[in-house]
Amino acid sequence: MRVSPPVRLGLVMTAIGIVWGIVLPRLGRFPVIVRHVAAMESREVNPAAMYYTELDRLPVRSAWIEDRLILWP
Amino acid sequence: MAGAGWKSSGGWHGLHEDTVATIIGLAVLALALALTWIARPADDPGSRATWPKGWPTPLAKTIDKPQTWSESLDAAFHDRKGNSIALPIVLGGGWVVAVAAAGAVLGGRSVGRMLPGSVVLVLLAGLAYLLASQKVIHFYNLEYPLWALMIGILIGNVVGVPAWLGQSLAGEFFIKTGLVIFGAEVLFGRLLELGVPGLLTSWVVTPIVLVVTFWCGVHLLKIPSKSLCMVISADMSVCGVSAAIATGAACRAKKEELSLAIGLSLVFTVLMMVAMPPLIDWIGLDPIVGGAWLGGTIDATGAVVAAGESLGKEAGEVAATVKMIQNSMIGIIAFAVAVYWSGWVDRSTGPREGSLVAEAWKRFPRFILGFLTASLVCSWLFSLSPAHALWIDGTTTGFTSRLRGWLFCTGFVCMGLQTNFRELAPVVASGRPLLLYVGGQCLNLVLTLAMASLTFGWLFKKVVEP
Repeated sequence: MRVSPPVRLGLVMTAIGIVWGIVLPRLGRFPVIVRHVAAMESREVNPAAMYYTELDRLPVRSAWIEDRLILWP
Repeated sequence: MAGAGWKSSGGWHGLHEDTVATIIGLAVLALALALTWIARPADDPGSRATWPKGWPTPLAKTIDKPQTWSESLDAAFHDRKGNSIALPIVLGGGWVVAVAAAGAVLGGRSVGRMLPGSVVLVLLAGLAYLLASQKVIHFYNLEYPLWALMIGILIGNVVGVPAWLGQSLAGEFFIKTGLVIFGAEVLFGRLLELGVPGLLTSWVVTPIVLVVTFWCGVHLLKIPSKSLCMVISADMSVCGVSAAIATGAACRAKKEELSLAIGLSLVFTVLMMVAMPPLIDWIGLDPIVGGAWLGGTIDATGAVVAAGESLGKEAGEVAATVKMIQNSMIGIIAFAVAVYWSGWVDRSTGPREGSLVAEAWKRFPRFILGFLTASLVCSWLFSLSPAHALWIDGTTTGFTSRLRGWLFCTGFVCMGLQTNFRELAPVVASGRPLLLYVGGQCLNLVLTLAMASLTFGWLFKKVVEP
């Protein structure tokens, strides 16, 4: 049976709607995922950052790193 | 990237695509820097404590992307304080349409014919951002390029690309313009942030892994496409998607090759982000060494920070800084790849028409010069004073990084629409790209651990205990 392009598009959009609207929110209630998300949110980490400028906090060298390492001998 | 170029994509008869991307990219950057400078704060302009992400830029209100959401889509259009960001999201798409229109004017194309398709592409890019910002997807680092490519591939294969939309498919132009703007974020001064240990970990291990993996792909695994070997090697050894985009453009990789490399990188990033922190705990590595190992091996920046923070604050800071040093190598690596490709790889496959330098210059992707110009100028400005550094940080975090994100996302939608996986099917079925990625990553893990242990754990470690 040949399905027309608009129907195929409708089926794909429905599948996306089911996954993002029902499956993923339910998955997000699993304890292991809840713990991971809560840990990331509490530390203001943006795991989806592609580059350092997209991080919620820019990496800045801390005093403790200077205390522990010889940066420039 | 090979395929539809400025002139071959259906009647672009003005300036060359690379030239247009460079002009628009540098003009947008100059505008952003000027407006941020004009609106600079009067109080404590040089204080990092007052302005942790740099000076606020007035352009930040003109662009944003959907925020994380879980149950209700409404959350995607509100910031953390509950304010609506629907307008900045719409305006963000508007910037992309404006860039497309400016590109059409400079390229000698009809703006009227280009605009309807550009609006649809931006809407699809917005949909990709929306899918990527779902909470589970977001916090497990499945970034927007994956969904932008997927949307494009689905539409391209399920309903096809109508002619009116085909005229607007300028994926390479969007990505090249985004890369020129991206140059402002590639700051050479950042390379020195962790001193000699950071330099050794990044400058010794990364190029070795890149070159060895590329060589193995071409000579041992005999993958027919050198550009596929290069994008896989670069995204695995440098910093994931951003490195794949930059080197893919520099070596003119096919859309299908870039899609494959990005897919591999995203899948392994998630696996390594989840698996490496428990492994480091189990081995009992020092947090500094563990952080450096994570920073040097996990592809994506956000995933590095997520994995590092799960080991502790100290490991998170070292991991983020090592990754930032690697991030800053993109400019040099993209330039080196462009020179190697135009001087040697293309020369060995095409007809020889002159000296090595003349031929290399003829084939050199010129937008890389725009990217390097933006990088060098912003690196110089960044180094002038703490206030100048905050000027650059504010401009990039508040505006240019968001705009290049929209441009990349739209570019990936275009690439998805034009992707023909049948071309790559034999290579993918052979399993060799997967083997190349896994083999290269194993080498990366071993060498980075050895170098991080040597530098962060021994040679440059002070004895602070009494």
